[in-house]
Amino acid sequence: MGETFPALLSQALLAGALVTVKVAAGSLAIAIALGLALAAILVLTRNRFAHGLIRLYVEALRNVPSLTFLFLLYFGLAAVGVKLSSTVAAIAGLGLIGGAVCVDIFRSGFRSVPDGQCEAAASVGLSPVTAFRLIVLPQGLRLALPSIGNYAISLLKDTSLVAAIAAPEVMFNARQLVNETFQTALIYGCAAVVYLVLTTAVAQSVLLVERRLELR
Amino acid sequence: MFLDTIANNLTDWGPRLLAGLRLTLMLTVAGFSAAFVLGLAVEYFRSRPYGPVRFIAKLYITIARGVPILVILYLLYFALPGAGIILPSFVAGATGLALVYAAYLAEVFRAGLGAIPPGHREAAVASGLTPIQTFRLILLPQAIKHTISPLLVNLVSLLKDSSICALIAVPELTLASRELMAESFLPLHVFALTAALYFALAWPASVLARYVEERLHAPGERLPAAAANFTSNSARSGVSQA
Repeated sequence: MGETFPALLSQALLAGALVTVKVAAGSLAIAIALGLALAAILVLTRNRFAHGLIRLYVEALRNVPSLTFLFLLYFGLAAVGVKLSSTVAAIAGLGLIGGAVCVDIFRSGFRSVPDGQCEAAASVGLSPVTAFRLIVLPQGLRLALPSIGNYAISLLKDTSLVAAIAAPEVMFNARQLVNETFQTALIYGCAAVVYLVLTTAVAQSVLLVERRLELR
Repeated sequence: MFLDTIANNLTDWGPRLLAGLRLTLMLTVAGFSAAFVLGLAVEYFRSRPYGPVRFIAKLYITIARGVPILVILYLLYFALPGAGIILPSFVAGATGLALVYAAYLAEVFRAGLGAIPPGHREAAVASGLTPIQTFRLILLPQAIKHTISPLLVNLVSLLKDSSICALIAVPELTLASRELMAESFLPLHVFALTAALYFALAWPASVLARYVEERLHAPGERLPAAAANFTSNSARSGVSQA
């Protein structure tokens, strides 16, 4: 262990940041795909059973702490023989929770498109699915963007929880380094800066995209 | 079979989970009350027209919303003793939650105050009220109407985030369930029961928040997506939806 402390610190935090970004990107992809699909079902169908199931999923996952759900997924599934690696459990868990958040975001985005546009589309002969795809979807996505950006930022912060199931992200690595070097304040302070940089970067890029969309 | 196992263990698990639940509630109440007061103060300073106070308040909001709660809890619980300040885990947990949620609530108050026509404030100042009187007597009562629903959403969020205090050894519900898991080797049962307990607390508040939100807006009124999502998402956001 001939390495100097600054080298160790930056190594641990950078390696951790990479895992953090990986977990956040993976679960964001799952959450958006899941949210978009379920919101489309809610908007396009009137099947009560499907609506009930989706509502149940959303209410269940939005009213339970992420940490409890991650424990349930990681330790609970292992007990019944489904062993997930900590990174997979983290991505799946945060993705499933995020899906519930995204359903509500996309649905209210779709519902903000005025009814008259769908009626107009129907009157010129578009089928409901075509009208959704060509008229509601593009506008709804644009309206949902700011909320999705906010969600992405809170997701980035929530990835710190997966340290509790031993995924080697920023906080996990920081904790390990603290146990070796006892530089508590410095290490956690630097971890805070890493998160601040990541969340600011996401916030700024969302703002940039929003501005681009408004210009068009 | 699944429920039988839970029922058989309930005499052992029940009291311990309820003890954890009690601490979860205490964390939530203490954290939220402190965050409410601190959030009002932060928003008050942030709304000053100029000066370093405004800058500091804005910086505070940015940092508190850009850093995970876990980092703040670790700093309070593990790093502060290095400076000679030793907080018991419950105090560190409640303080951390309060510090973070003060920033969220400041944003909620800002949105609530933003909904009041500026003429009200101008009229109050013109009739000789001091800024604090204007805030307390004119702006605050009106802002409360617009903030009830987002406040409830934040309360639910804080309740859920209180589980993070398990990681600094506050013996609340999630830590209690972890200990039970280690003893019973029945993680699925223990965590399902724990999740159900959180749900039983959080869900009614979520439903109430939605009900209030719907009642406040006239029927048929369509909100822009950003506004419609305000309560559900900006609660935990890092960017403002100004």
